[in-house]
Amino acid sequence: MRQLRLDHLAAWSRTFAIQGSWNYSSLVGTGVAYAMLPLLRRIHAGDPVRLRESVERSMRSFNGHPYLCAMAVAALGRLEQDEVAPDTIEKFRTALRGPLGTVGDRAVWGQWRPICVLIGTLTFLLGASPGWSVGVFLLVYNAGHVAVRVWAYATGWQAGLDVGRLLKGAWLERWAERVWPVNILLTGGVALVLAAVIVRQSAIALAPAALLGMGVVVALLAFRFPRQGGRAGAFFLVLAPVLWLLGGLVG
Amino acid sequence: MSWSELYLGPGTWILAVLAGGALGMDAVSWPQVMMSRPLVSATIGGWLLGNPVAGIFVGALLEMFALRHPPFGAAKYPDTGPAGLVAGASYAASGGAAIGALLVSVAIGWALAWVGTVTVHVRRRLNERIMSPVGELAADPGLLEQRHRLAIWLDGLRGAILVAAFLVPSVLVVTLAVGTGPSDLGRYAVAALVLGLAASAGAAGRASAFGVRGWPLLLVGAALGLLLVWAGLA
Repeated sequence: MRQLRLDHLAAWSRTFAIQGSWNYSSLVGTGVAYAMLPLLRRIHAGDPVRLRESVERSMRSFNGHPYLCAMAVAALGRLEQDEVAPDTIEKFRTALRGPLGTVGDRAVWGQWRPICVLIGTLTFLLGASPGWSVGVFLLVYNAGHVAVRVWAYATGWQAGLDVGRLLKGAWLERWAERVWPVNILLTGGVALVLAAVIVRQSAIALAPAALLGMGVVVALLAFRFPRQGGRAGAFFLVLAPVLWLLGGLVG
Repeated sequence: MSWSELYLGPGTWILAVLAGGALGMDAVSWPQVMMSRPLVSATIGGWLLGNPVAGIFVGALLEMFALRHPPFGAAKYPDTGPAGLVAGASYAASGGAAIGALLVSVAIGWALAWVGTVTVHVRRRLNERIMSPVGELAADPGLLEQRHRLAIWLDGLRGAILVAAFLVPSVLVVTLAVGTGPSDLGRYAVAALVLGLAASAGAAGRASAFGVRGWPLLLVGAALGLLLVWAGLA
């Protein structure tokens, strides 16, 4: 029993490196096999043929959000332990790919990470030291990060084949649908404070009301047309130092 | 500040390269704790050059531009770990006060982040070779583990090479910009950065919104930010 716990701990900790060998052929598949190895070695101890077959299955193409892949690692390990038929395992892998990617991308990359980044940035803009600001970001973000990995692994091992059903409408998806307004509020607030700090630091006489008005129009246009808006943002970013250096040269 | 006042010794350079390796690894390979976000990596760069406040300021700006690039699926996104470190270190080395140096530092950080994206693509192609043939790796799980770890180390090497190659040139270019004082075009330069920030915030807001209905919240957020500025809290 203690050995099983250690194997689970080893497999779970390996999920932190699950994208280490990400490539265009198997995507995260080789990483899934790497993370599953402690479990597979125990399950197929003394049977090198079955171990080889299960490792080969595990290396096949797979994709999903890296944090939620812990769920796939545990669930697939459970199926191997329960000696589920290989074609059922393959179907299960295929069915799991979509939800694991969508739910994780929306909740973690789409909401949790930007919210934590913006909180860290705001902490700095409100006067905290860089160390505190970065510390707040890393602590808050990784509290959620590690919790999601623990939940995903435990759920995967307990649920096995039922993981796909549990993932539909899971708390993570519902949470992402509720929290996005906070994300946008923070984005607007941090952008404005940051712009004000830049203007203040530049010590150049600018027309703040006109700049604010133009900024609002540009932000709303970028919200409506995000692809073009993002490109415009990058264009302005490159244009700024070019204008500055040109001004310096021309005098 | 003149070039003769600038100090970027070999010890600092080596530390920066090592940190670049760790930051290069973090984004994708291991452990994904997000120290590769520019808010953190630029602060590390600034700290290495003796001015973490300058570093985090560059990092905060780079964050606003990077937010609209979530790594959904196989989307291409800026590799901000080593790039943030180089940008933050460059601005810190310039003294962390001149607005011209800030503009150049952020632009260099952004450009280098996209150079990093190209190296990520190359690394993924290389991983295809490292992780094959499948039959051989499946027959020898120990070899599979070795190759997987090798791929992670190579990601670290990628980040280290980026910092090693671009840190000194970037510091020199940014320091050059410190010498250029404000001009008539200077006000347009600052305005351009502010508008770029606004455009990126709008696009980032949309990336996190479920549909187009969130735009009033962007304005409410900006109004709250304005209140903070007027109240002197930020």
